[in-house]
Amino acid sequence: MLRKKLLTSLLGALAGLAVTGSGYSQAPFYQGKTITIIQGREPGGTGDMRARSVFSFLRKYIPGQPTIITEFMPGGGGRKAANHIFRGAPADGTVIGNVGAGLIANAVLGQTGVQYDLAKLAYLGTPNSASHYVFLSRQEAGLTSLEKLRAATGVRIGAQTVGHDIYINGRMFAWLLGLKEPRFVTGYSGPEVDAALLRGEVDARANIADTIAHRTPEWIEKRLVNFHSIIEIPKGDKHPRFANLPEVETFAKTDRERQVVALNRAFRLGGSPFILPPGTPKEATEILREAFRKTFGDPEFRKEFKKLTGDDPTPIMPETLEKYVRDLPRDPDTIAIFKKLAGADPLPAR
Amino acid sequence: METSLFDAAAQGLLNLIQLKVWFALLAGVAIGTFTAVAPQGIGTPLVYAIALPVVIRWEPLTGIALLIGASSVSAICAAYLPVLFGIPGGGGSQATVLDGYPMGKRGEARRALGASFMAGGMGCLIGTLTLVIAVPAAKPLIYLMGSPELFVVMLWGLSMVAVLAGRRPIKGLIAAAFGLLIAMIGQQAQSGVMRFVFDQPYLLDGISISIIALAMFGIPSALDLALTKLGVEQQAVPLKGSLFDGIRDTLREWWLVVRCSFVGVWVGIVPGLGSQVVDWLAYGHAAQSCKGARESFGRGDVRGVIAPESANDAKDGGDLITTLLLGFPQGVATALFIVALLAWGFLPGPEMVKKNPELIYSIIWIQGIAGIIGTLVGFVLSGQLAKLAELRYTFMVSILFIFILMGAFSVHRDPLDLVAVVGFGILGYFMRRYAYPRPAMILGLVLGDLMEKYLYRSMMAYGFSWLARPAVIVLLILAAVSFVFTLRGRLKSKSESPASLGGAMGRAEDES
Repeated sequence: MLRKKLLTSLLGALAGLAVTGSGYSQAPFYQGKTITIIQGREPGGTGDMRARSVFSFLRKYIPGQPTIITEFMPGGGGRKAANHIFRGAPADGTVIGNVGAGLIANAVLGQTGVQYDLAKLAYLGTPNSASHYVFLSRQEAGLTSLEKLRAATGVRIGAQTVGHDIYINGRMFAWLLGLKEPRFVTGYSGPEVDAALLRGEVDARANIADTIAHRTPEWIEKRLVNFHSIIEIPKGDKHPRFANLPEVETFAKTDRERQVVALNRAFRLGGSPFILPPGTPKEATEILREAFRKTFGDPEFRKEFKKLTGDDPTPIMPETLEKYVRDLPRDPDTIAIFKKLAGADPLPAR
Repeated sequence: METSLFDAAAQGLLNLIQLKVWFALLAGVAIGTFTAVAPQGIGTPLVYAIALPVVIRWEPLTGIALLIGASSVSAICAAYLPVLFGIPGGGGSQATVLDGYPMGKRGEARRALGASFMAGGMGCLIGTLTLVIAVPAAKPLIYLMGSPELFVVMLWGLSMVAVLAGRRPIKGLIAAAFGLLIAMIGQQAQSGVMRFVFDQPYLLDGISISIIALAMFGIPSALDLALTKLGVEQQAVPLKGSLFDGIRDTLREWWLVVRCSFVGVWVGIVPGLGSQVVDWLAYGHAAQSCKGARESFGRGDVRGVIAPESANDAKDGGDLITTLLLGFPQGVATALFIVALLAWGFLPGPEMVKKNPELIYSIIWIQGIAGIIGTLVGFVLSGQLAKLAELRYTFMVSILFIFILMGAFSVHRDPLDLVAVVGFGILGYFMRRYAYPRPAMILGLVLGDLMEKYLYRSMMAYGFSWLARPAVIVLLILAAVSFVFTLRGRLKSKSESPASLGGAMGRAEDES
């Protein structure tokens, strides 16, 4: 009798354990877990704000409401963080990377220090993609029209560093507008280029249209500078303040030049992608992708993004981003010309 | 839109109304007090080197409060060792021993400390007020500065190497050149060329200056402590007398305080003089100008304490004038302060005056407030602080190693940073052992990047014609004059320092 009771109790306990176990397996994947978002940049900048704009929404939309923390791994224009995500980060869905547009450009261009493979990373989308670059010159330089700009020799174009997107786009303008022997003066911070422009140390620069509108609106209102041309990203997307400027691609003379412009657009469209290490379980990847989709579709996210960055978000969904990376132009000749534009050598011949 | 300086000063003060800033300031004061009183040679540079990796991850004002709090109070409380043990204190308080220790032996230790705190507090306020006046005075000049002018200013700062090298100019030059070489590691920002990278992602952006500073100053100090078992061997003089006597003495000698404070400010402004000579210059001035000094100085004259202490504390204000308004450091501590400002995204010098005047005023406010708190700490806790001076070396060594390694790892959580900190630490130990001045190397490291940037910009924008710009010519002349003047002043101060402490002064040069 006693033995029967014991057996019954044991079976009951086992059944209970089984039920509990089964109940446990039904618990959300991320319940009680912590997701670490590794940012490939210094804290506090625009890139950080863009990334932060999604954090609270991710927690909201990931079942199990995991804790989300962020760490910073600046270095090599995002290469250090991307390498870490590719090679060293645990591929269990608890680590997400967030790197700037350099993630894609550095890999396609085969830059030093790239130890990751774009095709093996999983993509979760980006909160920003569109941007417009404008080319302008200081009023005192007297380059009041496109003709005068193209006729001038040795225009000094200021930028941050070789390889910086402002530098590359400045070179793109100089190349396609056909400037004569332009000189590139680098080594500034963004606001320093503005100051150098005003005191006559440089004559011209490229800049992001929204940055001009926010940082130096008096340049537009008081006509302190002359605007010459624009790069629309994505193509055909008119900027409300600079819709009248000629698009740089209209100055391209050959298909090859148009392909270079397209490659440049493609690099910028990648925005600030969120990525997962290779081998991350499909279940975790799909949960995160769904959370990103819901985040980007949430009107509150748009407000949060605007509040933190001053711009409207232009998100790209996970699958679109993955397809976009897969379909990037990889023509070696186009890449070779683009590398020349991104480097310090003279501009490519036309 | 540009704010007026008055608005900036008001905003600078308002920005400090945050609990965490005050906590950081008090923590800085506590650290500064501890390091000033502890006998194992922890100076402000080492405190900065250890704190840097941690504070650069904080909000700027909080980090600044800790750093300025530590350095400000460290100068005010530096008289303990000279007065109680007859040991020359950290840089800037060595001359205090000449009269402070005889006073202590005579049973007037409290009086000497009271005079030291009061003179230090007054000196700190005078230095801070000078800085306040300097901002609007310098502003019009600063607006004229472009890349060529800034390059010459950096060159001026680098000329300090000759002074930091002390008695070994060749070794100083080698150390500075090595610093410049290290500064070249990584992708050259202007040309995009990879230098000394060897395809290693770790080296793409160069090696973090805060890691190198931490290693160069932290590891050698900890190793030295462990190997030499340094500590205070002799008994302290009894803590007798009255602090208020010292306060009364200082108030009575207010004119001496003012004069010596301006000596301190001047030493702070002129590149290269630094804390190694400020006390001796002030002491020398007092010895020449005070009535009856010939008979009483060196035998326990309170004026011999007041003069160096007021100058030493006022010097910080002068240091900040060149650091914040011109953007070049006056020594290792200010070089590391610049590293912190750069890490927070501020470029000290003209750009900061234009863009962040409220931050400059916040720093000034912090400096003044820290000076007042430091003086009060000195008065209220004089008895307890005296006991700190008897700390054992074993405690200090363990604490130092823990902080160094944790600090290094906390920068990027990269294990390679630990390798770098150990490697540079060993290098620093041998540099110290073979008398290659580490400050010269740090200066080369900090200024190398900036100099290269300004020179590159000048050449690209103007070709060689930048050399003919009037402001460049004026600055070059000023730099040359100040260089010659500084060297001359330093040689003179060496020859005037009392023979009994000549060795201590020489040691300070080597250890700085």
